[in-house]
Amino acid sequence: MKPAQFDYARPKTVEEACGILAADMDARVLAGGQTLVPMLAMRLSRPSVLVDITRIAGLQGIACSDDTVEIGAVTRQAAALASEVIRAEVPLLAKALRHVGHPPTRCRGTVGGSVAHGDPSAEIPLAVTVLGAEIVFVGEDGEEERFAPEDFFIGPMLTTAPMGGLLTRLVFPRRAAAPTGTGFREVASRRSDYAFASAGAQVVLNADGTCAEARLGIGSVGDTPVAVDISGLSGTRLTAQDIRGAVVEALSDLETVDDLHATASYRKRAAVRLAELALAEARDDALEQAG
Amino acid sequence: MTDQQRRFVSTNRRVREDRRFVAGAGRYVADLDMPGTLHVALVASTAPAARILGIDASEALAMEGVVDVLTGEELSAAVTPLMNGLDTPLVRRFPLAVGQIRYAGEWVAAVVAESRALAEDAAEKVRVRTEALPFVIDAEAALEPDATPVHPEHGSNLLLDRTFDWGPVAEDFAAAEERLSLRVTWGRNSTVPIETFGVIARWNPWEEMLDVWASIQMPKYADQIARALKLPGNAVRVHYDVDVGGSYGVKRGIKHTVLVAYLARKLGRPVRLIEDRLENMRAGDAQGPERIFDIDVAFDRDGTVRSMKMRALDNAGAYAGRAPFQLGKPIGAIVGPYRIGSVQYRAMSVTTNKAVQEAVRGFGQAPTNYAIETMMDRVAAHLGIDRLELRRRNLIRAEEFPYTIPSGSTYDSGDYHTVIDKVLAHADYEALKAERDRLRAEGLCAGIGIAACLEPSGGNSSFEPLLNEKNRTSTWMEGSRVTIDALGFVTVAIHTTSSGQGHETLAATVVGEELGIDPDRIRVTRPDSLSSLPGNSPVGSRMAIMLGGAAARAARNLKRQLVAIGAHAMGIDPDTASYEAGTITAPDGRSIGWDELVDIGHRRFHDLPSGTNPGLTASFIQQVPTGVALPKDGKVQMYPCYSFEFHLVLMAFDPVLAKPEIRRYVIGHDCGTVINPHIVRGMTLGGIAHGIGAALLEEFTYDEGGQLMTQSFLDYLMPSSHEVPSVEIVHHCTPSPLTEFGQKGSGESGYLGAPAAISGAVQDALSPWGVTVDKLPLRMSTISDTIADAETAA
Ligand SMILES: Cc1cc2nc3c(=O)[nH]c(=O)nc-3n(C[C@H](O)[C@H](O)[C@H](O)COP(=O)(O)OP(=O)(O)OC[C@H]3O[C@@H](n4cnc5c(N)ncnc54)[C@H](O)[C@@H]3O)c2cc1C
Repeated sequence: MKPAQFDYARPKTVEEACGILAADMDARVLAGGQTLVPMLAMRLSRPSVLVDITRIAGLQGIACSDDTVEIGAVTRQAAALASEVIRAEVPLLAKALRHVGHPPTRCRGTVGGSVAHGDPSAEIPLAVTVLGAEIVFVGEDGEEERFAPEDFFIGPMLTTAPMGGLLTRLVFPRRAAAPTGTGFREVASRRSDYAFASAGAQVVLNADGTCAEARLGIGSVGDTPVAVDISGLSGTRLTAQDIRGAVVEALSDLETVDDLHATASYRKRAAVRLAELALAEARDDALEQAG
Repeated sequence: MTDQQRRFVSTNRRVREDRRFVAGAGRYVADLDMPGTLHVALVASTAPAARILGIDASEALAMEGVVDVLTGEELSAAVTPLMNGLDTPLVRRFPLAVGQIRYAGEWVAAVVAESRALAEDAAEKVRVRTEALPFVIDAEAALEPDATPVHPEHGSNLLLDRTFDWGPVAEDFAAAEERLSLRVTWGRNSTVPIETFGVIARWNPWEEMLDVWASIQMPKYADQIARALKLPGNAVRVHYDVDVGGSYGVKRGIKHTVLVAYLARKLGRPVRLIEDRLENMRAGDAQGPERIFDIDVAFDRDGTVRSMKMRALDNAGAYAGRAPFQLGKPIGAIVGPYRIGSVQYRAMSVTTNKAVQEAVRGFGQAPTNYAIETMMDRVAAHLGIDRLELRRRNLIRAEEFPYTIPSGSTYDSGDYHTVIDKVLAHADYEALKAERDRLRAEGLCAGIGIAACLEPSGGNSSFEPLLNEKNRTSTWMEGSRVTIDALGFVTVAIHTTSSGQGHETLAATVVGEELGIDPDRIRVTRPDSLSSLPGNSPVGSRMAIMLGGAAARAARNLKRQLVAIGAHAMGIDPDTASYEAGTITAPDGRSIGWDELVDIGHRRFHDLPSGTNPGLTASFIQQVPTGVALPKDGKVQMYPCYSFEFHLVLMAFDPVLAKPEIRRYVIGHDCGTVINPHIVRGMTLGGIAHGIGAALLEEFTYDEGGQLMTQSFLDYLMPSSHEVPSVEIVHHCTPSPLTEFGQKGSGESGYLGAPAAISGAVQDALSPWGVTVDKLPLRMSTISDTIADAETAA
């Protein structure tokens, strides 16, 4: 469990990093290392050079504009979890972050690293998918390229990231001014394990308490996190029955996978259950804001 | 000696070892820095079974920093096969595969280099040419007449097939009003210590001495090394002053040791092998029992269990080792805490193309207890009798001790009914049931699990002669020496490594007790194996009894010398002198103190009573209290002492998500006199955590292609602090009549009953659906699927 030999570079700027990546097909970005380092140790990854991007100032930090919140790719998951801005403006992400690993891994793991890696069970990609956040890359040519989640995550640990590209930031929509509730639920063998199934939900209420907009995403059950069309809930009061009916219908052809720890049929039932729980949690959260 | 008179034993004293461990100042084998050390990495097989056609190491050997590449062919010509427990001489095992690969991950060659990283680089360059062979993974498939033998020379996969009949089984079955059959399966789990196995060997050609430092917990380690390398016993020196970062049975790296010892002699430099996690998981030869139990039980309608027929089929993995003996040890408690009058027991062990099985906490007792307790639950369900009531009717009563079970072991003491009553009172059993029903009304699955079981302790190895007639072992002694130096300070020597059991605290406490000296002022040392008294290492939950006994008796011998010296100095009969905290007092009130006694002992030969040796030292070699007789008619006294534990668990989970949550965990525990309460508590809590893993999470799973799927902690799921609930321990003390202070063992506590109790709780939670669970680990997904299937069927 010693990595094969590699070189190490620690660029100061995005341009410098992109230059190294462009020059060498086998160069690999190193962010928090929480996924990559074990892969190096197992020799499942054998980069020629590791491009450590954690010292690039331009990739850090969380910034709020009129209708978006931008998160620099190397923002540590722990920092994002502690961020007031994220809690207030991207509450679903804040909820999702609590389930990502545990404190020691969150202290090193980055928000962008999780998205770039594209594990179908990862919580951050699920939040990105539910909220339709933009994934921003800088390519070999220094040009920015933006991806919608459904175009980006295409398989397990498989993305459409440009060759030699660097994920620089994620652009999340700010929550609406109207009561906006969120719910995040997952099930795993142990707390902090990758989930067998996970569900993220967000609902926005009309002034009369009916549902103006509902979003749902399911993770961990298949090749990628998936956004689920749950628009049928719009206009309802989000009763348990409303939710149940909409979820069962929306997930009726959800494809799930089998593995050692969980069967496909289990994942399917769990997804339905978690979706209901997440939507109910989101509704209660929104109702509380509505007072 | 009563509790009131004890000053140190059973008191809440700090565990002395904890300080260095908590401060990160332990000294583990990987911490040892020996100049010129070479490092080993292994070339592992990818196939579960293959013939080795050739090994080409030329590319590896050409790399800078690479010193040697060792193959099984070279090694096997130089060393003897590793020891088998049974008389199966044709099941030969060497540290590296010889001619044939028998499991995925098996070591095929060892690469030696200036650093571990270089050795790993070179290991990738070793070309192994193989021809695939048929393989078998499943124990029942391995039994089939047309199954491919893992060891063709041995002729079949059967290592052991022995049927014992103890008592009138046929008559009892004929007379019983009811009978039922069940099958339960115990999955292949283990103890997986944070510290993997590691060893360093150094050969000194001028002294002709092999020095070994290892993360070891194994009886007769030095002997086995010497035998394998064909060295005189006194040419192997094992250093016991190395901390061992966890074991509970599995740190038996004899193959690793023979490998590095051979290399150290060959290359003339120290050689070290510290397993990485991958090597540890797939080829550390440290996976535990994997067992299918088929049980027939005969009982009456009033709940009396008359007789039991148990067949245990164990999957030993690719080589024999000591694994089959794990079917033998449970014979000493084959009826658990119950008055079952007769037993038929068929013990079967087979080879398969899986990694080699090694001793794990309880040495086969935890699976057996799980089988017995599941059987008791099934009998209760069959009769419609409450599970507790059924147990109460069958438990051995306090007044029946010492109690001899059909297989020949006598239980020393116990008061099972009282322990259970105390637990039920503590937990408020009625309220617990009401809570379960309340949870059910909320739509959750909720269940109560109970398990009553024994921890045989004081380990000898009576299962060896029982299962292998060529083995004539009837003693498993442990020695200790106590010395008072010329300045009056006391030192106790213990002759083994420790892997978290707190032996230093144990030895200091009992010696302090005997001598009336503060244990914190007593030094505990660990001489190397050549300077040690005979011993058998901390296995079989034995050290409280065996090392505790040896150290206490050595101290008592020393005290006798002090009394003789003091009495002589005062001119009185030693029988009239009293000893108290280092001072000898005459009946007339005169006394003589410690410093004076020490001065006489060390310097004033002229003041010593005649026949007394100068210098103050004494030793004692403790024999297992009952371990004297060889087996007769398939019966034997297994371990001497029997601790008891009673688990009561409330679990709840969502019927769809099925993540089992432990809402309440109470354990009643009776290990006789507790020498150090912190140690016993730690053992019990850790054992329960381990049992939760076995019940719900941990398994070395092989796929149909013979590949280990759980090679790291990503898939081999150990319970974390989130999954381990807070546990309430209810103590009871029934002293053993056989030991110095009434102590019994507790090194396996918790683990021996937790899987049974948790499985029982899940079963109870599923009772509304009328389904059964009978296979560990109980995966969430399986529980949920079982419920869903039952609902679909209904
Ligand atoms: C014990 C443990 C438990 C965990 N549990 C969870 C969990 O429950 N849920 C979960 O989601 N994750 C979990 N993780 C993974 C963790 O969240 C990782 O931190 C994350 O997946 C990757 O982020 P990183 O910053 O560590 O990336 P790294 O490991 O450094 O990199 C991961 C991959 O992404 C690429 N990469 C990283 N950053 C960029 C970038 N800016 N541009 C382009 N490519 C990039 C790297 O080249 C590499 O291929 C766990 C990890 C551990 C060790």
